[in-house]
Amino acid sequence: MASISIQNVRKSYGALEILKGFNLDVADGEFVVFVGPSGCGKSTMLKILAGLEPATSGMVKIGDRDVTDLAPGDRDIAMVFQNYALYPHLTVAQNMGFGLKMRGTPREQIAVRVAEAAKTLDVSHLLDRRPKQLSGGQRQRVALGRAIVREPQAFLMDEPLSNLDAKLRVTMRAEIAALHQRLGVTTIYVTHDQIEAMTMANRIVIMNNGLVQQIADPDTMFRKPANLFVAGFIGSPGMNFLRTSRHADGRFAVLGEMLALKVPESVDDVIVGLRPEHIEPGKGGLTFEIRPTLVEGLGSESYVYFDVPEVNHLAAAGGATDDGRPPGRIVARLMNAGPVRVGETLTVSVDPDRLHLFDPATGQAIPKEADRSW
Amino acid sequence: MRATPLQTALLYAAVILTSAILVFPIYWLVITALSQPDQLRQLPPSFWPSEPRWGVFKKIFEERPILLWLGNSALAAIGAVTISMVVSVLAGYSLSRFRVRGGQSLGLFILTAKMLPATLLVIPLFGIFRTVGLIGSMWSIILAHATLIIPFTTWMLKGYFDTIPRELEQAAMVDGCSPLGALFRVILPVSAPGLAATALYGFVLSWSDYAYARTFLTNAQQNWTANLGITTMKGEYVSNWSDISAASILIALPVLLIYLFLERYLVGGLTAGSDK
Ligand SMILES: Nc1ncnc2c1ncn2[C@@H]1O[C@H](COP(=O)(O)OP(=O)(O)O)[C@@H](O)[C@H]1O
Ligand SMILES: [Mg+2]
Repeated sequence: MASISIQNVRKSYGALEILKGFNLDVADGEFVVFVGPSGCGKSTMLKILAGLEPATSGMVKIGDRDVTDLAPGDRDIAMVFQNYALYPHLTVAQNMGFGLKMRGTPREQIAVRVAEAAKTLDVSHLLDRRPKQLSGGQRQRVALGRAIVREPQAFLMDEPLSNLDAKLRVTMRAEIAALHQRLGVTTIYVTHDQIEAMTMANRIVIMNNGLVQQIADPDTMFRKPANLFVAGFIGSPGMNFLRTSRHADGRFAVLGEMLALKVPESVDDVIVGLRPEHIEPGKGGLTFEIRPTLVEGLGSESYVYFDVPEVNHLAAAGGATDDGRPPGRIVARLMNAGPVRVGETLTVSVDPDRLHLFDPATGQAIPKEADRSW
Repeated sequence: MRATPLQTALLYAAVILTSAILVFPIYWLVITALSQPDQLRQLPPSFWPSEPRWGVFKKIFEERPILLWLGNSALAAIGAVTISMVVSVLAGYSLSRFRVRGGQSLGLFILTAKMLPATLLVIPLFGIFRTVGLIGSMWSIILAHATLIIPFTTWMLKGYFDTIPRELEQAAMVDGCSPLGALFRVILPVSAPGLAATALYGFVLSWSDYAYARTFLTNAQQNWTANLGITTMKGEYVSNWSDISAASILIALPVLLIYLFLERYLVGGLTAGSDK
């Protein structure tokens, strides 16, 4: 086991820059998740860590060793691939023992360690089968087994669950987390699924367009998103965004009320972020009436969609979100709201302290008073 | 969607008809070999000889060094296929996996090479072989056949390697293989069906050659390949078609046997199960 240090790694394919300076320090035994939309460079960064792709510039360290120029096999890491990449011509036992065999481990010792790993992953009864005789879930376990049997310094996993059906994905998610608890091996896990990231990670690295957007633990990621991208990416449904501008009296119109937002004097335009779950039925700090245009009841909770006043429409604000909703339509996630019907007026409220504020020009969050350094 | 009985019947009819068309020449070859010479020009033709001449095979073995010719053909084919496979495995793998400057044009150049008719190359090859003193040697046709086979097998193997997920050799490299180690320990075993099909194709190309053998081998009949030998059985005035047909069957047999032996590799899809 070892720490991992990525220092200013850049990667270009021809003129196309895929990674624009990646910095990260992973502590020994940490479980770090890279998350971001498809094509943002997650796999590329993982391949550079594994030695399967050379970095254009920058340095990678595993433990105290500079591994930037080492071959994959000399880095003492194990990788789990999205399509599992099991060797089809070998049995499960041979698949799991392949890495040990390549390192010249004596045969008896390979057998012992394969048996041990197989027991851990509950695949002992499959050892003589070939990959094509296994179900998707079993292949996934064998792929994990092939990684753990080597007892490497670190695990690198590239979307290992995305070929499984939804139910199995949840089971395997818990199982990988438990495996990490037990083995304590430093793990870097790539996914495009923010729920996987939130549930599994010690720390999350959110990426977009080859740039790290924020590095934080899941709780901080949710409570203090650094910018509009992170705010919209984390959470389900995603954060609602409202546009507003300073009036003559210095206040801002939000959902029909005039609020004194805590922003620096110089800021005249603000994007207000509002989490769907922070809208509550009944009166409260900032109370307003809504007329639902669509209600999705899920039993214990309901998603209530409604339109906000025209002045708060985001359309002109630079298109920070694009989840397909019409401009100005936002969603509330109401718990125990009783029956909610389309078109019937409903009174809801928000605690103004829970609003997030962003600078529309930069997309960066405007820190709350307590966090401000000026 | 399930086929109706009528659709099934039509499908079977089509399969039987196609098979019949394909099998007919072979059937005709067999009965030609077994017929008495005077039955061959009968009208209407007879579809099974009244007294099959089974002795014809023994006769041609006695009259001609058939086994020697078959041996020469085998030697040429095995030599040419061996050289071709070594070259085209490496070339096909490189074309499939590495993006090199000019790699694509090189690939296209190989592709055009296979569109040139073999006879076009006979003269230049003759010149080359005469210079290096290979005329009359078995090496001349081994090398000539290799030049014929390599463009085909390179492209066939490139296509096959393209279907194998890259993650397979990436996994092997993380497991400690060098790039060449990954090729030999993982990619080639997984490609067994592709290798078998490709080798068989090359074998048939070499086995069916006439022009190169005719040009490069000497007049001494102990050097001839089977194809070359068989044409000498056609005389200027008389041709014994029964004997020629019998010899043709003997020449076709080895290819058929190899095919039967390799069939399970040719059909098997070994990569199934490496992913998803
Ligand atoms: N070998 C390559 N040549 C050119 N572009 C590539 C290559 N590999 C990846 N890319 C590009 O790099 C970008 C990032 O890819 P990737 O790291 O796989 O994204 P992610 O895993 O986050 O979905 C994509 O736009 C992809 O098209
Ligand atoms: Mg990816």
